[in-house]
Amino acid sequence: MNQLWHLTLCEAAKGLAEGRFGALDLVLACLERLKQTEPSIKACLTVLEEESLAYARSLDEKGRDPQKPLWGLPVTVKDVFCLLGAPTTAGSKILENYRPAFEATVVERLKAAGAVIIAKTNLDEFAMGSSTEFSAYGPTCNPWNLERVPGGSSGGAAASIAAGQSLAAMGTDTGGSIRQPAALCGCVGLKPTYGRVSRYGVVAYGSSLDQAGPLARSAADCALMLSAVAGPDGRDSTCSMRKIDDYLNLCPLKASDLVLGLPEELWSADFAPQVANVLEQAKKILTSAGVTLKSVKMPNLRFSVAAYYILAAAEASTNLARYDGVRYGYREAGKEDLNDLYFSSRTKALGPEVRRRILLGTFVLSSGYYDAYYRKAAQVRRLIANDYYKALKDCNFLLAPVSSIPPWPFGAFTADPLTLYQLDMMTLPLNLAGGPGLSLPAGLGADGLPVGLQLMGRAFEEAELLNAGMFFERLLPPIGWPPLN
Amino acid sequence: MLDEKSAKAVAELARLELVDSDSHSRGNIVDDFVKIVGYMDILAHAQTEGVDPLYCPIIEAQPPRADEPKSRPGLADKILEEAPERVGRFFAVPRIV
Repeated sequence: MNQLWHLTLCEAAKGLAEGRFGALDLVLACLERLKQTEPSIKACLTVLEEESLAYARSLDEKGRDPQKPLWGLPVTVKDVFCLLGAPTTAGSKILENYRPAFEATVVERLKAAGAVIIAKTNLDEFAMGSSTEFSAYGPTCNPWNLERVPGGSSGGAAASIAAGQSLAAMGTDTGGSIRQPAALCGCVGLKPTYGRVSRYGVVAYGSSLDQAGPLARSAADCALMLSAVAGPDGRDSTCSMRKIDDYLNLCPLKASDLVLGLPEELWSADFAPQVANVLEQAKKILTSAGVTLKSVKMPNLRFSVAAYYILAAAEASTNLARYDGVRYGYREAGKEDLNDLYFSSRTKALGPEVRRRILLGTFVLSSGYYDAYYRKAAQVRRLIANDYYKALKDCNFLLAPVSSIPPWPFGAFTADPLTLYQLDMMTLPLNLAGGPGLSLPAGLGADGLPVGLQLMGRAFEEAELLNAGMFFERLLPPIGWPPLN
Repeated sequence: MLDEKSAKAVAELARLELVDSDSHSRGNIVDDFVKIVGYMDILAHAQTEGVDPLYCPIIEAQPPRADEPKSRPGLADKILEEAPERVGRFFAVPRIV
């Protein structure tokens, strides 16, 4: 088996440009690695083997196109991106056999850039979860320890990259669903600013929170992916008109350029000792290198879990009303009453966590509770966004942990949904505010499991954020590969 | 006060049944619901008087475009192919009258 799957996306792009290997060599390497590792990690819901091999062959026959920045590079997309010719399940039984009649803008742009989409990756059903345990097709395992969760909801994407199945992936982040699995699997994950990447053709969860973004093995890889998929799209009214920056030609930063704010409300959490040790070590490395770290107060973050779960659930209950057993998706057979058809199709084919969030969302939007919960949460959202704005006035970026605990054993929290929601405290405030965030590996804990750090920036400053990420990567210890055969 | 009766009323609105399988696999769905909504009451401590709600953090959104149909040959057929049941070119539902 060739070892090209070891390469970063940028290294592979360089190798293709220099003619050291072809698109087919790369795709074959990743598909072979996928076959070898998939039985243990179960990261993919659909593998597009024949299609990707045929496409890679055709790319090699036509010859490299320097106008296509992802030419010949094997990537995956989370199974919420509609892709013609393959199922799009969103990890749900209700979409088990759904084949969309249209393609997501992200998928179109990846293809236009020459990428080879080799698989669609696993996720918590409708991206509702932080462990992939809520996928209707079974959980994905963390390549660093197969008895632990990979995080979620883009857990398949993160595990797949960590295992060497693909060089980069597209995921989505509604409350941390790119950054947290990236951290738990030792990858790099970018949640761009809300509106930076089109949501057209992405199965909706919380429409004011969802944002698509890349996961990869380095910040430079994320920059390469972002440059291909970001930018205005007339088919998504919430996609920003703002032109994209150049993410690929960045001037290297100096430590003295960097002032990082540490939100007290996040750093005062109750950390598992192995996580705390890695975070402390990382802070020491940064300060020794000359980076300025200063504490900042963001008092409204303490309300963020409650505000987020009200708003996200409200949007979910509205978005998921479309699954009615009539136009597409699962339909319970033999029903002679329309309401009965709705009730039984939805109850049977939506999983418990999804139903829980629909119930919560329906409640907070219902007459008599709307002002007390939904409107109140939206007001708190404004306060949280203001906290970010103020905190970022005096520093370049905010630096925070991604998860207070290491990847946890399967089943540890499934009977306690509120605790699971509270574990999202580090990541979800940023989705409420809308800004960009980059999750990077900070090191390995004493238990041999990855620990992540995140940088959060001002709206549309992805270039600055990625540049800072590249600087951090040079300082922080490389974590290597998971012990996976 | 939230209880099983009000949870059932909400489920009715959401076109969902509160089924037993939930209590086997994930704890009691009504108890969880009451506990989660109880936690949300923390928001009462936030000072929000006179604060404009923020429903969506979009910056420089797309201006509305002209409401004109675009031709996508064959799209309607492809969409209809996804219908679990149909009659000719229509989605089929049980009789409602």
